[in-house]
Amino acid sequence: MDLTVRGVVRRFGAVTALAGVDLTVAEGELLTILGPSGSGKTTLLKVVAGFEIPDEGTVHLGTADVTMAPPRSRDVGMVFQNYALFPHLTVAQNVAFPLEMRRLPKPERTQRVAEALALVELTDYGHRLPRQLSGGQQQRVALARAIVFKPRLLLLDEPFGALDRKLRESMQLEVRRLQRRLRLTTLFITHDQEEALILSDRIAVMSAALIEQVGTPAEVYARPATRFVADFVGESNLLDGIATEGHGAEVSGLGRVQAGASTGAPGARATLLLRPEALRVGAEAAALPNRASARILETVFLGLSVKLRLQVEGGPEMLARLPLRPSAPLPVTEGEVVPLGFATEDVHVIRHG
Amino acid sequence: MSSATADRRRADPARARERMLVMLALPALLLLGVIFIWPLLRLLSMSVADGTLDQFEKAALDDLYVMVLYESMEIAVLVTVICLALAYPVAAWLAQAGRTGFILGMFFLLLPFWTSILVRTYAWMVLLGRNGVINRTLRDWGWIEFPLPLLHNLTGVLIGIVHVMLPYMVIPIYAALLRIDPDLRRAAEGLGAPAWRAFLRVTLPLSLPGVFAGCALVFVITLGFFITPALLGGGQVMMIAMLIEQQVREFLDWNFAAALATVLLAATLVIYAALAKLTGGQGHGAR
Amino acid sequence: MSIKTTRRAVLGAGLAAATLPLPAIAQSSVPKPDRIVVNASGGAMANLFRRTYNAEFEKRHGIRVVDTSPVDFGKLRAMVESGNVEWSVTELGGQDFVRAKNMNLLEPLDLSIIDLSKYPAAVRDTHAFPSSVYSTVMAYRTDVFRDGSHPKGWAEFWDVRRFPGPRSLRNHPVDNLEFALLADGVEPDKLYPIDIDRALRKMTELRPHISVWWTTGAQPAQLLVDREVVLASGWNGRFYDIAKRGAPVAVEWQGGSAKQNAFGIPRGAPHLHWANQFLQVMTTPELQAVYATELAYPGLHPDTVNFVAEDIKPHLPTTPANLEKQFWLGVDWWTENGQRAQEAWNRWMLRR
Repeated sequence: MDLTVRGVVRRFGAVTALAGVDLTVAEGELLTILGPSGSGKTTLLKVVAGFEIPDEGTVHLGTADVTMAPPRSRDVGMVFQNYALFPHLTVAQNVAFPLEMRRLPKPERTQRVAEALALVELTDYGHRLPRQLSGGQQQRVALARAIVFKPRLLLLDEPFGALDRKLRESMQLEVRRLQRRLRLTTLFITHDQEEALILSDRIAVMSAALIEQVGTPAEVYARPATRFVADFVGESNLLDGIATEGHGAEVSGLGRVQAGASTGAPGARATLLLRPEALRVGAEAAALPNRASARILETVFLGLSVKLRLQVEGGPEMLARLPLRPSAPLPVTEGEVVPLGFATEDVHVIRHG
Repeated sequence: MSSATADRRRADPARARERMLVMLALPALLLLGVIFIWPLLRLLSMSVADGTLDQFEKAALDDLYVMVLYESMEIAVLVTVICLALAYPVAAWLAQAGRTGFILGMFFLLLPFWTSILVRTYAWMVLLGRNGVINRTLRDWGWIEFPLPLLHNLTGVLIGIVHVMLPYMVIPIYAALLRIDPDLRRAAEGLGAPAWRAFLRVTLPLSLPGVFAGCALVFVITLGFFITPALLGGGQVMMIAMLIEQQVREFLDWNFAAALATVLLAATLVIYAALAKLTGGQGHGAR
Repeated sequence: MSIKTTRRAVLGAGLAAATLPLPAIAQSSVPKPDRIVVNASGGAMANLFRRTYNAEFEKRHGIRVVDTSPVDFGKLRAMVESGNVEWSVTELGGQDFVRAKNMNLLEPLDLSIIDLSKYPAAVRDTHAFPSSVYSTVMAYRTDVFRDGSHPKGWAEFWDVRRFPGPRSLRNHPVDNLEFALLADGVEPDKLYPIDIDRALRKMTELRPHISVWWTTGAQPAQLLVDREVVLASGWNGRFYDIAKRGAPVAVEWQGGSAKQNAFGIPRGAPHLHWANQFLQVMTTPELQAVYATELAYPGLHPDTVNFVAEDIKPHLPTTPANLEKQFWLGVDWWTENGQRAQEAWNRWMLRR
């Protein structure tokens, strides 16, 4: 079922945690709230779950206004950051809990618990206690418990934070697979931009109690609406300059940079975004419209690519990421001065708010 | 074991830590040993000082002592149940109260410990008597015609003991509740549980270790009361500790007193073990 | 015991302690400690004790008196048996002095120092110094029983039809068994040996009307003040105290159970000579009179009454008119049978 949040404000004394948030999650969609800690994303989740009542604004599930409804009547499944499994109940009892609360007859309960455990591949673990499971297994129990009662909405509160990298990646995929398969409307909270890019249908980036931008991962990555989004999502080169006629901007050290879109009124300040992978170094740079030369300060070998830290002569420090082929040697060495260039369409203009 | 392995074992930081903790606990353990275990052993030995079990025979076969022991247990159970009923809500409130609320609550809870038992008991007499504050007030309000029998009977004894024992129940339960992750209650409610079902299914079972500790403390300590039941019971209530005190102080029959005390100790341990077996299984499993 | 001719000057009649003449005997031969320890009841009594006997002893002999409390028979026994006696003199609660003597916990009194020649023969003892007399008596509320309409004796105390109202007795067999027998028509001189069963049968009659069985000495007075009960047994000094402070409470001496308080010297006590000297100070009738006036617990020196105001005398158990209404508690019987009586009492209390 779709979720609509409209004009939600929540204050705690002098602190405003949510300063008028609007958000829609379409049925079957996985939307990620991405933001640093303190941005208000956890408060937003609590408002949606019913653990917080907003001071202003409404929350709708489908057509029903649930703003004031207690958590138990919202039919929302939630996976907590630390899983919040009931330590005194077995895995099966944990998963059966929401069914028990809904007074489902015992046989049906047993069957649905079995189905849910099968879904998370924990069929043989029903009789165990949570503390006898690994972190990943506990997480899958929490997930099973959150979906076993076919909730109208699934909430995931940074559920992968406690897992090691490898387990985290496989769990992310598993969650994504389940969510797709069950067509669960899902709101996912994370501060990990990489995770957000991998999992989401759409991402809402939050900062300072407000949503800065909502869009697909590709949109948010390629065309961030604000300087904050550009900086928070992915690595970036942010160039400050003065707009000129004809989609250009004057940037110190780089001269006139040609962008793919309007940079605003001539003479106004303009911020340009250039992702590291858009930079070309060496011979390739010569054919490109935007050019400069830079000294290589540092090279970092990343396996599939190499990251370069460059100092533009008389200009900003920039990051570049060059693809590597296993057979080819590293094209550059530290300390070397190289030509560098980038295409017009790779320069994204960030509007000033 | 070679000396190299031994060295390595000694250097193991986990072991070193354990050793340090044992060393730190040693003074307290020694103190307990000296001021508690040693007199206890002396007591036990006194009960068989005449080389026979006659003292025990008297304590066990004389229906007077058996009946009083039974009655003392009954009172201890009653006090425990009442304390539990009163203490749980207080503990639950304290567990979620802010700093100020906590300090305030604890202050009132611990107030009885700052006054001597005699002062406290006489205060209850002033409050509960036939012409005491409570009965006078109720009569002035026209709620009752004749004074309620609150003092010099079992009611008075229960009120007096519960008052003193309440903190012993509140504090362990409070500690247990504090250790429960608040997300568990949220999870339960989010999964569809009304507050009372979330309490019964999640909070209550997880607080059982505290409940058990509180019950054990209250039960055991109550069995040893003798001043409060003597004064507030007005002769209607007899507890085993009163009889033991009589033997010690009035008749100097320390051997028999020791036998009675040993019987009390044994009965207490048996009940404690039974309680532990009953609730310990699932209670201690939690976190 | 032989009565020794006193070599001491007969005590003068001076009232102020300061003018009391020093005993003629030379004491310089006995070395003086800088202090002795005297153990006695605490509380208000300790204050009075300090003001009278301790002060007088310090003045006469220049030895400081350190007072400790409470009176504790078990501690006395432990001290003597461990050979580590701290007290030079101790009070002996209730009827304990006979027991203490029987258990060989006391030094014999040095009657060449303590002059008991004027004391009644009945109270003189080789080991226990008879310090004062007190009595367990009946007290009543004067606003409930006006103009002498109160029960006069235990038979009337038992008569709940003529004298209705809740009563209080001590939760203890001592005195109560005697009271019950008196109520049942036993002559005061035929009380001992006590027929425990008969006494308890008589107690059973009154039982529903006893609303409180008291435990501590302060309770019966307080119960009367609070109108919890209209009749109670209790120690005469306690009732004297509240009556003095204006409570509508008075005492009936008929059937009172008189007994003496005693002091003794623990076996192996330090400074034996000075312990005896302390007890000699306690024989001073002027000081006993102060005690009698303040607490209604008169000493046994017959001259004491000469130093007590007339209006105090009706409140003292030793005043002849009062004394003839009372009986002397049978300490020997209780020493012998106390534990048995207590068990019978407990059993009876437990039966409801």
